[in-house]
Formats: sequence, structure tokens, C-alpha cells
Amino acid sequence: MSATGTAVSPARELAAIAGEEHVREDAATLAALAVEEVAPAVAVAPGSAEEVAAVLRFASSRDLTVVPAGGFARQGIGGVPQRVDIVLETRRLAALEHYDPGDLTLGAGAGMTLAALEEKLAANQQFLPVQSARPEVETLGGLLATAASSPLRHGYGGLRDYCIGAHFVTGDGRLAKGGGRVVKNVAGYDLMKLLIGSFGTLGVIVSANFKVFPRPRQTATFACDFASAEEALAFRDRLLRSALSPICMELVSPRAEEYLREAPPPRNVDDLHPAASVKLAAGAWQVLVRAAGSDAVLARCRRELGSAVSQELVGEDESALWRQLLRFEEAVLARHHNAMMLNVSLPLSAVGEALAAAERALDNNFMPAAVGRFGAGSLEIAFLPLLVDPPSAMQYVAAVSAFRSALPRDASAVVARCPREAKLHFDVWGSSPTDRECMRAVKRAMDPANVLNRGRFMTEDL
Amino acid sequence: MRFPAVVKRLKKIVGADSVLEREEDLMLYEYDGGFSRGTPRAVVFPRTTEQVSQVMRLAGESGVPIVPRGAGTGLSGGSIARTGGIVLGFSRMNRILEIDLENQRAVVQPGVVNLDLSNAVARDGFYFAPDPSSQKACTIGGNVAENSGGPHTLAYGVTVNHVTGLEVVLPSGRVVEYGGKAAESCGYDLTGFFVGSEGTLGIATKITVKLTRLPEFIATLLAIFDRIDDAAQTVAAITAEGITPAALEMLDGWTLRVVEEATHAGYPLDSGAVLLIELEGLREAVEEQAEAVGEVCRRLRVRELRRARDEQERQRLWAGRKNAFGAVGRISPSYYVQDGVIPRTRIPDTLRHIESVAKKYSLTIGNIFHAGDGNLHPLILFDVRDPEQTRRTLDAGREILEYCVSVGGSITGEHGVGMEKNELMPMLFTDDDLEVMARLRNAFNPDSLLNPQKIFPTTRSCRETSGATLPGGVPL
Repeated sequence: MSATGTAVSPARELAAIAGEEHVREDAATLAALAVEEVAPAVAVAPGSAEEVAAVLRFASSRDLTVVPAGGFARQGIGGVPQRVDIVLETRRLAALEHYDPGDLTLGAGAGMTLAALEEKLAANQQFLPVQSARPEVETLGGLLATAASSPLRHGYGGLRDYCIGAHFVTGDGRLAKGGGRVVKNVAGYDLMKLLIGSFGTLGVIVSANFKVFPRPRQTATFACDFASAEEALAFRDRLLRSALSPICMELVSPRAEEYLREAPPPRNVDDLHPAASVKLAAGAWQVLVRAAGSDAVLARCRRELGSAVSQELVGEDESALWRQLLRFEEAVLARHHNAMMLNVSLPLSAVGEALAAAERALDNNFMPAAVGRFGAGSLEIAFLPLLVDPPSAMQYVAAVSAFRSALPRDASAVVARCPREAKLHFDVWGSSPTDRECMRAVKRAMDPANVLNRGRFMTEDL
Repeated sequence: MRFPAVVKRLKKIVGADSVLEREEDLMLYEYDGGFSRGTPRAVVFPRTTEQVSQVMRLAGESGVPIVPRGAGTGLSGGSIARTGGIVLGFSRMNRILEIDLENQRAVVQPGVVNLDLSNAVARDGFYFAPDPSSQKACTIGGNVAENSGGPHTLAYGVTVNHVTGLEVVLPSGRVVEYGGKAAESCGYDLTGFFVGSEGTLGIATKITVKLTRLPEFIATLLAIFDRIDDAAQTVAAITAEGITPAALEMLDGWTLRVVEEATHAGYPLDSGAVLLIELEGLREAVEEQAEAVGEVCRRLRVRELRRARDEQERQRLWAGRKNAFGAVGRISPSYYVQDGVIPRTRIPDTLRHIESVAKKYSLTIGNIFHAGDGNLHPLILFDVRDPEQTRRTLDAGREILEYCVSVGGSITGEHGVGMEKNELMPMLFTDDDLEVMARLRNAFNPDSLLNPQKIFPTTRSCRETSGATLPGGVPL
């Protein structure tokens, strides 16, 4: 602070905390870090948890809003902020903090990418059961903050089930932790549960500890075709009651199939033989069942799934198919930049009605395409705008509200992507069965000055 | 308000037959399964959420502490009225409200006994996975408060992994809902946050839990070792092999002899340690894992590997484990169970350390624990009537926990902090960690009338500092 009391520019204050070379204000950087076209005033990449704390203390004291950012892969989720003062990048917090392969536990900085983590674990044939379309971009902090879900969710549970500890900084700059390094621990409040899925509104995660898993030595994917959603659901229910425990059970709607056709880019740029795309049967409801185990276990699966199986995939074909599936949202957005993507969580019994409700979006000039973990109550539904008669902003609103009204009250349907103009007219988060006032109380306790992702989450007073 | 006036109003809310106030009745509620003590001034048995809400409101208005209690089987004093006040007993809110097999969920009141729920759905091929040793008595409300574990949580996860929705009465009397039947929902995961909060954030009056499909096939193995070190190495090797047994329990030589005398489970009296290993799932997978486990055991010099041939034999092997604490109770006036957790790679050296602590304090310490997830239960034998011995016991317990923390572990894996270990929290958490937790507690339980003096150390004040830094703390 200057002696006269006039405020020093945020960039200079941040440079004093993190070093000049880690503070960026150039137009190109700021444009690349814009949230829904709202560019930040400055970006800072702190090099330690203490520096993160100092940045947030400074921001809270000056009422500067902060957007925590990892790989910037999921910043499209949430409301349109009025302003963004600081983008706080976690990319320098990327160190491996500990790894005990014999204990199947690992801790790493929030800025570590999923690909980097996978590389460390691969040496011991272990893995974290989270998948991403862009593992070299997405960071651990970002995956936790957005409660990322992927096909392995079916068999391994979600991040909330295997994140065993986290260090974070509250909105007002206190460095704190929850949990620890061991797989079983009930000391103190389970703060990881609050942070996972809080979209960076309660604290900036600086590092996290995980329970990791042995990588299955062998898997196979059985693609099963059905003429209708009802038949696919009946198959799901039969499978859930059977003794089989597949690691993935994914639904692909007939219209979603065409977005899975594209061959994914090779994981390795030097790969001279990129995978050809794997084709699923067109026009059918598909259930992709992925099983892990020995030859005997896979034979048992094959036997029990019986005539439902139209294709069995192993090896590179199998991996390619799952990569294509992970890229569903990307493939949709590449072809329809104005598509709307919904992340739906619901009880198993409501999946059928949700799929039927999505079909009714045709009334508002959308065609639905769905994929998802329908055995765990989680769907990704793309609302594809009709090319001949694209929907108006108000039709986005109408389609979402009609869809949500068909869901039971403990379901939620978050609009993860939609055009900015439409976003301004409705709540992208929708309803939650969880008490709003309690959520706000948690927000006030963790971020008293409301600097973290202000204007973007469901705790904002509406 | 004077307390007799509070009692009068309590009787009005729940009926005179649902309030205990005589000294001889209250004495029954001054302890749990551990050795903390505290006498309430009244015990109340609500029947409905509305009654819980009214009692909470009354407690708030009259400044009387209130402590929820399930079956009182806890081991860390979580359900003990440490500062007097009202104990809210849930034995009359014990109905299973709904069994929804299509969604693999059940909705229960907090007083439902853990095993009763599993029994109610067994016919349909399901069960409730968390299985604390006290599962014949403990309640699901208590499991939620403590985030209870059990032998089979190694493969299936602890209570928090099996709860998707809650109805909660806040200290203000307001009734709120968190989550529902869906596995996840948008917004903060207050369900997950609430589970394990040891009755300090509200009282759960309705709990939505996952039902798990019963396994098709179970193999139960008893691996007998001459040396405890080999047994400990076997645990780490099984984990490293990538085998996840449903349960992996260890009893050391001293403990297994005591258990054998009492239950005749078939444990050989001259062995150094036994591992009880259970594998569950698809028949083909279980057979392969049993083979792999056998190989690991042989590599680490197992003396004998037995496999239960039928359900009766399986139950007999488990009876030894599940009744172990009772067996120890036969030979010692008191015992103190610790609940430390360590990385699974540190089991051998930690057991050696425990042995040295036993020598140092001239105490007998048995070990029986959930080896598969590194959750130790050293049993320290002592006579509670002897204050000097009691002090040595507590010191030994503390030293064991210090070691657990020093190797990257925790002070409690499943019993909770309660009033037993709240002063030890600074071993794991900094002032700032505790301050953030206290802010959250204060957001829900601002006057700390709900289960006071639990979890947080009383030696430093987390309340005052947070009050000053938390603006806009609107009571819920």
C-alpha cells in the first residue's frame, strides 16, 4: 500500500505475492481466460499454498472477485459473472506430494493434470478411475471442483468416494485441510465432500489425496442393441439384479450414436497408426457393458448377456470406443456450437421418464441425444438445435423448464453448456433437493466476502 | 428457564411417558461403549420429526444442551451428555419407512437397528453394507453421526458411501432436506458433509440409504501364521497384488487365544497371528482371488490356510472376530480400544511399536483390527478402579496414536472423535483447520447447544475467534 492510501493496482499487489513473471495482464491471455466473454483484469499463478492464501486475503480485503482455474476445461459451466477481477491459475501447484503404491494412496497438487497423474500411476499398473476427454488439460483441482463424472463411475463410484483428503484456501485466505492420507478416517468434518462439486465457490483446492486402484489386467466391452429405451432399461434392471459387476454400464441413444463415430485423435502425437473409429449399430439404443477380470469372468459375462450382445470389443478398439464416448460433448459442440448440454442426476426409476421428456424438446425445436451412466442415475443429454429452424433464446428456456418439470424433486438437471444469450434468461443450475439456505450458510462460512466465482453458482440470491 | 419448567414443557411435547428424569433412570444414559461418562438431566424419546423440532426449539430457547443418542454403542462418547442437558433417544423412531428396490434405496428413521434393515431386505437379495461389530444393536442414525465402518467396509465403503439423502432438524428447530434417492445432486453435498459430523450439525430424522446386492459367492479363509510379522507383511502384499477382499481382519496371538477360550472359533492356540480373509462376488472371480491370496500367504510362510466349507463354519470364524471385545471383557475389568489408522505398508513396524509401548507402560495390549484398510484396534487392558493404571493406559493410547500420525495416519478410522479424542485433534489439525471447521459448525449450531464439547479441543477456543471473522452469520 502506498503511503498516501491510494490503492496500488491489483497486478502490482499480486506480483509482490507471486512474482512478476507469474502475473499476466496482456490482452491475449486475458481473452483466453474469459468466462462467458467476461475477461479478467489480471491472471496470477501462485507457486505455493501460502501464495494462494495471500492472493485470496488480498482479494477479500479489496472485494475483488476470483475465478480459480485449472485447465480451463469446464469454465463454461455456471452463470454469467458480472465481472472477473482475478483468474487464479493452479498450474504451478502440480507436484506429486506423496505416492505409496503398496498402500494405494497418492497426493498431488491441484494443478497436476490427469495425464501427468496417470503417468505416475502407470508405473505400478494403478490408476484413478476418472476419465476425461482431455486428460492433458484437465487438472485434479478442476475435476474435483466440478465433481467430474465419467463411465467408470458405474463400477468405482465418484470422486467423493475416493478423494481422502484435501488442502484448500478459503475465500478469505485461510489455508486449511480436511481428511488425510489414509483410506479410512473420520477425524474432523469431511470437508472434501463440501469442496467436491462446489465449483470453486467455497475454496481453492491446492492439493488432494486419493485412494487409487489397481488397473484391471483385462477388460472387454459388450455392445448390446435394443429397439427401444424401455427394452434398454429392462436390460439394465436385469443386469443390476444379476451377479455381474461391470465397471461401466453406459447408455447411448440412437441419435447420440452418430456423435461417437468420429475417430478420436491419438493420445500420442507420434502414433503412426491412430485408431480407426469403432462403429456401433445405427438406429438402436445401445448399452455398453464393460467388464474386467480373467478369461473365466469374461466368459461368464458373455454367457449371461447372451443374445443381447451385438459386438464384443477388446484391446485398441475397446479403448477407442470409450475415448469416442468421452468426447461426446466435444463432438456435439463441434457440429452444433449452439447446442445445449444437460448433466442430469436422478433416481434409477426416473431415467425412462427423463428420456421421454427429452424427446418432447422437439416442441421447442431441439432434438435430444443422450449418453450416460444410466445404472448409476447419471445422464448427459445434448439438446441439438434443428438446423432448419434454430430455437430462439426463449425456446432454450422453455425446453429446459419443460424437461425439468418432468423430473422427480430429488433429481437435478444442470445446463452445462448453452449459448450465452440464453443463459441470461434462466438458472443454469435448476433446483436441488438440498436446502438452499443451508448451502448459503456454508458459503458464508467459507467465503465470507463472496469473492470466489461470484455470480456463477446456485448459492447466489435469486 | 429453570430446568423443572423445561421438563414440564418436554412432557407436553412428547408426553409424560416419553421423558425420564429420575436419577436412577438417568444413570443408564451416562455411558456408551467406551469409557467416557456424563449424566443428562432428562432423557426424551420423540416419536416424530415434529417433536424433535419442538424439543430443539425448546432447548435453544432455554439454553439447555441437547445430545442425540441411538443405541449408545459408540466408543468415543459421541452420545454422552458431557455438559448435562437433554439426551434425545431415538429408540421410538425405529421404523423402516420405505423399501424401494427399484432404486436400490431404503428410507429409515434414525432408530432403526443396522442389522434389522439388512434382515428386512435379505429375502429380496439385498443388504445394508456398513457392518460395525455392534450391528445387532447400533442404529443407523448413530452410524450416520459417526460415519461408522466395519469389517466389510474395506470393499464396500463406510456409511457415507451408502447415504444419499437426509431429513435434518437444525438446532433452530427448522427441518431441512439434503439430497434424496439420486446418487448425486447439484449444489453442495451437505449429505456427505453431515455424515460423520457426530451430531454437531443437526439431527437426522430420516435417512435414505443405498441397498447393496448380496454377493453370489463368498469364500472365507483363515490364514494362520507363526509370526505376526509375516501376517502383517501378507496384508501389505495382498493390497499390492491388487486383490480387494471384502474383509481382511487380523488378530494377534494374544487376542486369538483369549477369543478362542471364549468362543471356540477354531483358532489354533499356539499361533502368532491369524488373518480372516473374506472374498465376495462372482463365483469365478472369487475362486481366482482365493487362489491368489493363497499364493501370497504361502510366499509369506503361512502355517496353515483354512477355508470355511459351509455357512456354519463361516459364521464360526466370524463369531470369534465379532465377539472379540466381549471375550476380552471376560479376562480384564476394563479395556481401552484405540482406533488409529496407518498406511497399509506400515502395519509391521506399527505393530512392533505397539509392542514396545506395552513394555514401556507395563500393560497388556492385544491387537484385533481391520488390517485391510490399516485401521488398528489396539486393546489396552487395565483396571478402571486403579487411577494410576488408568493414567498409564491413556498415556499408552496417546503414544500409539502419535505414532500413527507420525507415519501419515489418523487418530480415528471409524469410532469418531467425540469427547474421547477431541483434545488430540491438534495432533492432526492446525489452528486454521480447526477454525474453518468451527466456522462451519457455528453456521449450523451457533450456540453449540447441540452436542457441546465434542470433536473440537476445549483447551483452545474456536468459537470466539470465528464469531469475530464471520459476518452475516444468519442463524438457520
